[in-house]
Amino acid sequence: MSLTCADVFARYFHHPIFGSVELVSIMATLAVPMALPHTHKIGGHVGVEIVVRLLSEKTQTIIKTCTDILSLGLFALVTWRMMAYARDLQLTGEVSMNLEIPFYYVIYTTGFCLLVFTLVIFYDLVDDIRKLKGK
Amino acid sequence: MSPTAIGIIGILIMIIIFLSRMPVAYVMAMVGYLGFTVMVSGKGGLALLSRNIYDVFSSYGLTTIPLFVLMGQFAFNSGINRRLYDTGYKFLGSTRGGLAMATVSACTAFGAVCGSSPATAATMATVGLPEMKRYNYADELATGAVASGGGLGMIMPPSIVLIVYGVLTEQSIGALFVAGVFPSILVTILFIISIYIRCTLAPEQGPPGQRFTLKEKIASLLGLGETLAVFIIVMGGLFVGLFTPTEAAAIGSMGVLVVSLIRRQLTWRGFVNSLYETLSTACMVMMLIAGAVIFGKFLAVTRIPFELASYVGGFDLPRSVVMGMVIFIYFLGGCFMDALAFVTLTVPVFYPLVVTSLGYDPIWFGIIIVMVTEMGVITPPVGINVYVVFGVARRIIGEVPLESIFKGIFPFLIAVVAGIIILMIFPHIILFLPRLMY
Repeated sequence: MSLTCADVFARYFHHPIFGSVELVSIMATLAVPMALPHTHKIGGHVGVEIVVRLLSEKTQTIIKTCTDILSLGLFALVTWRMMAYARDLQLTGEVSMNLEIPFYYVIYTTGFCLLVFTLVIFYDLVDDIRKLKGK
Repeated sequence: MSPTAIGIIGILIMIIIFLSRMPVAYVMAMVGYLGFTVMVSGKGGLALLSRNIYDVFSSYGLTTIPLFVLMGQFAFNSGINRRLYDTGYKFLGSTRGGLAMATVSACTAFGAVCGSSPATAATMATVGLPEMKRYNYADELATGAVASGGGLGMIMPPSIVLIVYGVLTEQSIGALFVAGVFPSILVTILFIISIYIRCTLAPEQGPPGQRFTLKEKIASLLGLGETLAVFIIVMGGLFVGLFTPTEAAAIGSMGVLVVSLIRRQLTWRGFVNSLYETLSTACMVMMLIAGAVIFGKFLAVTRIPFELASYVGGFDLPRSVVMGMVIFIYFLGGCFMDALAFVTLTVPVFYPLVVTSLGYDPIWFGIIIVMVTEMGVITPPVGINVYVVFGVARRIIGEVPLESIFKGIFPFLIAVVAGIIILMIFPHIILFLPRLMY
C-alpha cells in the first residue's frame, strides 16, 4: 500500500519508483500462500453448509474426513507441481523484467507455504480420525 | 463419450461435492484438474495446477483485491459508520420511517469505502439498530433495512464481486466500478420509496424521530467529508485514468488509514484486526479465482459454454426472455451459495451466452449479476446478511426471530427486482458513465 502510494506521488513529480510494480506483485504473491493455512484453519473459505448442518455430528465428521482426504490429495499435488515449476524456472534462469529478481525464489517460497498448508490439512485429517475413533 | 457429456458429468460431481461443505475453491480446482486430465492429458492437468495457481497469486491486477479489502477493514474499524449514520439521521430522521431511510443511505455511503456486503450490514447494524429500537421501530423494518442496506455495499463501488467479474471476463475494473454508481443510487432511492410506502400503510412500523435545525443538519454534513473525499479521489482517479485500480485501492486505503489516525479512531487492536481480516478475505477470494480459472479451462475444452449458447439460440426466443432465465438462475444460485463463489463458478458458463450470443454489453451484465446475487445475501436459506444482522441484533437489542428479519426483507426484495427491471429497460443508467471514461 505504502509503496504503491509512494510510486503514484513520485510519478507525479516525474520520478516513479523503479520496479515498484514488480515488488508489489511479489509481496502480494507471497501474502496469499502465507495466509492459506490460517484461512483454512479459521474456516475462512466459502463452503455450502446447507445440507451438512442438518446431519448428525458423527456423519458430519465422516464427511469432513472424506473432504479432508480429497483436499490433502489435491494440495499435495499442487505442492509437488509448484516445487517442480520452481525448479524449471531455476534451470531456465528466468528473472523479473526490471529488478531482475529470480522468479524461482518466489515460487519455492509459495511451494513451501503450500507444503505447510498441506501439513495443516493432514493434521486436521488425523484429528478427524481421532474424533471418529473416540466415538 | 463426447466432451460435453464429460463436462456435464464433471459439473454434477462438483455439485455433489459442494454439498459436503468442502470449500468451493478446492472443489472447482479438483474437478477442473481431473476433468482437464481426462480430456487433454495428465501432464496438461498437472501443469494447470502449478501455473494457473501461481499466475493468479502473482497477478498485479489482482493486488487490487487485498488493497480494497484493507480499505473496507480500516473503515469498518474506525467509526466512519457512526458519522455517516449521523448525517442520514439528521436529514431524514424526523420523517416517518426516516431512521430506516437514514440506515440504507448510510449503507450506500459506507459501501463507497467498503466492498463487502456482510461487513456493511454488520457495521451499520451496530449504529442503526439501537436508534431504531429507541424510537420504537418495528423489528421487522429495522433489521430488514440493515440487512438489505448491507447488500448495497456490494453494488456500490469498490465491490469485490465486480473486481472478480472484471478479472474473469477481462473487462476494465475501472469501467465496472464507474458503472456501479448510478445503479446503487437507484436501488437506494427504491429502498427509500419502499420504506415510505410501508410506513404510510402501517405508521406504527416506523414512527418519526427527533427533528433537527437546519444548522445542525448542515453541520452533520462534515461527517460525510472523509468518505466523500476518498470516494472522489478513488473513483475520480479511475474515471479520468489518473491511476490504475491497484493504485486507486492503495491510495484509498492509505486515505482511510490517515483519516482514522488523525481522528484517533483506529486503535492498534483495530489495525491488527484489519490486517488479519484482509489477509484471510483476500486469500479466500484469490483461492476462489484460482479454482474458477482451473475449472474454466476444463469447461473451455468441454465446449459447454458454446454448446449452451447454440442450444439456447436454437429455441429462437427473444433475448430478453433468455436473459430473464439467466437472471432467475443467478437468483436461485444466490439463494443457496455465497454470491462471490456463485459468480466465479457461473460466469465462465453464462458470459459467452449473454455477451457473445445475445449481444448484451459485458459491463451491463456484470452490474446486473451483482445486483441479482445481492438478493441472495438477503434471501433464505443462505442469506448471509440476515444471519449477520441476527447475530448483531441479539447482542445489542435482544433476540429478533429470523422469520421477522426475512419478513422485513420482502419489500426491499421487491425494490431490487424493480431496480433490475428498470436497468433492463434503461441500460444507459449503467452504461452512461463508463462510456464517458478516458
